[in-house]
Amino acid sequence: MSAIALVGNPNTGKTSLFNTLTASYEYVGNWAGVTVEKKIGSLKNGAGKLIDLPGIYSLHPLSRDEGVAAQYLIEESPEALINIVDASQLERNLLLTLQLLEYGKPTVLGLNMIDVATARGIHVNSEVLQDRLGIPVLPLVARTGKGCKEILSLLGQSADIPPVRFKLHYGEIAEAAITSIELELQPMKDLPNHRWIALQLMEQNPVVLDFLKSRMDIRKLVKLGDACQSELQRKNLALTLPQWLRSVRMDYIRSLCLEVLDRADQKPHNLTERLDALLTHRFWGLPLFIFIMYALFKTTFDWVGGPLSDLVDGLISGPISEGANSLLGFLGASNFTHALIVDGIIAGVGGVIVFVPQIFILFLIISFLEDSGYMARVCLLMDSTMERMGLNGKAFIPFIIGFGCNVPAIMAARSIEQPKDRMLTTLLMPLMSCSARLPVYALFAAVFFPERQAFAVLSMYVLGIVFALILCKIFSWLLFKNESSVFMIELPPYRMPQIKTLSRSTWEKGKGFLRKAGTIILAGSVIIWLVSYAGPGGFDVAMDDSYLAKFGGLIAPLLAPLGFGTWQAGSTLVPGFLAKEVVVSTMNIIYHAPDTTGLENQISQVFTPLSAISFMIFILLYIPCLATVGVIKKETNSWKWTFFSMGYCLVLAYTVSFLVFQSGKLFGWS
Amino acid sequence: MTLHLCSLLQLPTGSTVSIHKIEGINPILRRRLADLGVLEGVRIRLKGKGPFLGPITLECNGQLFAIRRKEASRIEVNLA
Repeated sequence: MSAIALVGNPNTGKTSLFNTLTASYEYVGNWAGVTVEKKIGSLKNGAGKLIDLPGIYSLHPLSRDEGVAAQYLIEESPEALINIVDASQLERNLLLTLQLLEYGKPTVLGLNMIDVATARGIHVNSEVLQDRLGIPVLPLVARTGKGCKEILSLLGQSADIPPVRFKLHYGEIAEAAITSIELELQPMKDLPNHRWIALQLMEQNPVVLDFLKSRMDIRKLVKLGDACQSELQRKNLALTLPQWLRSVRMDYIRSLCLEVLDRADQKPHNLTERLDALLTHRFWGLPLFIFIMYALFKTTFDWVGGPLSDLVDGLISGPISEGANSLLGFLGASNFTHALIVDGIIAGVGGVIVFVPQIFILFLIISFLEDSGYMARVCLLMDSTMERMGLNGKAFIPFIIGFGCNVPAIMAARSIEQPKDRMLTTLLMPLMSCSARLPVYALFAAVFFPERQAFAVLSMYVLGIVFALILCKIFSWLLFKNESSVFMIELPPYRMPQIKTLSRSTWEKGKGFLRKAGTIILAGSVIIWLVSYAGPGGFDVAMDDSYLAKFGGLIAPLLAPLGFGTWQAGSTLVPGFLAKEVVVSTMNIIYHAPDTTGLENQISQVFTPLSAISFMIFILLYIPCLATVGVIKKETNSWKWTFFSMGYCLVLAYTVSFLVFQSGKLFGWS
Repeated sequence: MTLHLCSLLQLPTGSTVSIHKIEGINPILRRRLADLGVLEGVRIRLKGKGPFLGPITLECNGQLFAIRRKEASRIEVNLA
């Protein structure tokens, strides 16, 4: 089976093309650094595997996602490469192309976003480009699928892609060094193209250096490079060897672009200019961002999501419950089965399914923001605040993704360059309120703050961010000695997200929620119902005598100072560690509520507005869920940091809930 | 040719100049800038300044990006 790798600069549409050429679907968005892992899919025509790599500017990695791409090229050996370049940014993109051509594998150049380039009055002569580089050049619009058929049929006969003959001459001095290094490499087997290795070595690419170090003594090679560098310095050609290689490439690209590009009618990005004038305005930018976030929650809870959720609730509590009841009666099911299905599964899973519309609306809006190009602007707006807190604005993209789910958000932190910034972003992620916590807020807000639901829920998210910022300052100061951070972000042109991309991207995010409903929430509901049905006294005991009550009763005294010291509240917290949605499932089961209204009634009797706020805050902060713990371990590669993230959450949640409840009591609220 | 040098940060919004020298910048950032083709001799345009002394937006080779003011102040440009 042949493997073909997709390589190119960040945000040039590699994943869009990947999704079109394979039957799989991967995450797309309009900022640099969406793809942070190697993704593998099968080509639609069965011609082999396609590998999607994180975007890179050069083969010399700075951040962890870029390391993935460089590592792949040296350690694995794809049969061919597809190099995707942004037609409206040809000059910058070609720098990587030259290094890929030196890699020596058959390469196809995908000239993507040809529509954007044309709209901006940039004309690329693909025939001349093809002729000069000596590789097939195909114009593409990956987002709409234009030109993808041609690529697919070309890859159908990947053996037919001609080998690369491109060779750039780096001047006598450098060429002499390349030849001697190549000679040293001669006895080595299983290496990619030797000339490429030699050039990467001379550029001090750390991935190539490490790779060679593990297989041979490289001191001699390094010496050859150093000698070449002093020679260049002596002749006043360049300060360093990497700089020399780069300038030779740049000169070549400049002369190539003169031939290939026609920029006579080039126009500025009108839409982007106008939107940026407003959205990144020095005074209006931040208030607009806050307004957009408010509108996001208003739509999710009041305008669209809420009414839809009520419909689903009516369906579950009405036709579905009644249908199940009468069907079970008709089948003559035992009391046990009947109770398991109605009180356990329908109550537990149904209680969470009710929130599906709200969660999908939230995902739809997040997908819209991701695809529009606004995310990068949010980083820009937030950077000065974040800098004061010891982090950088780039952390805001993972934070917003974290509102959907913390797991992909922690992965997204890979595109942050500095290890310290990446670590802080990962550690603070559990404070970003994910969609699994949303049912708890929605439920409590509907009971205690029916007039201001969106505001109540938004405050939880804001609270999470505020604590993240405060802890960021503390961690940065205590753990990282205020090491300075760097910030640079590419601002992609804005674009109108397509319906196709939006629906796909919303579905992919929401799918996980539905899958959880069918697996972990279902299993959790059954187990919780069982331990609430059984007790030391046998089966079908009163709920207060069940194992669940005994167990919750153990935790309850600890929670009393927080205002919710009942066994019911206590017993929701432990299963909530598996998946936060289970908190609401457990409540539905415990309170035997046939529908949301029933549950709301029960809750209004057990909680007071003050203890409800305290409980919501506790759920917001108390612990990262099991899946998040797993990904924190994987990304930090340290149990110490993983336990640290769990520990600080628990301490923070307890302290804040305690302070809120106790001071609320002092003021006479209850 | 006479040189009129100043830091990028001192320019009025909207002006286009060429980069004279990039010095004393964090090496990671310097590499990132080089990746985008921001090097000595290249034309660069100051698009806007962010809120609360936040980052400034620049355009170089048709690419928009933002860096902090502290770093921008270390990019020396030639007004001529």
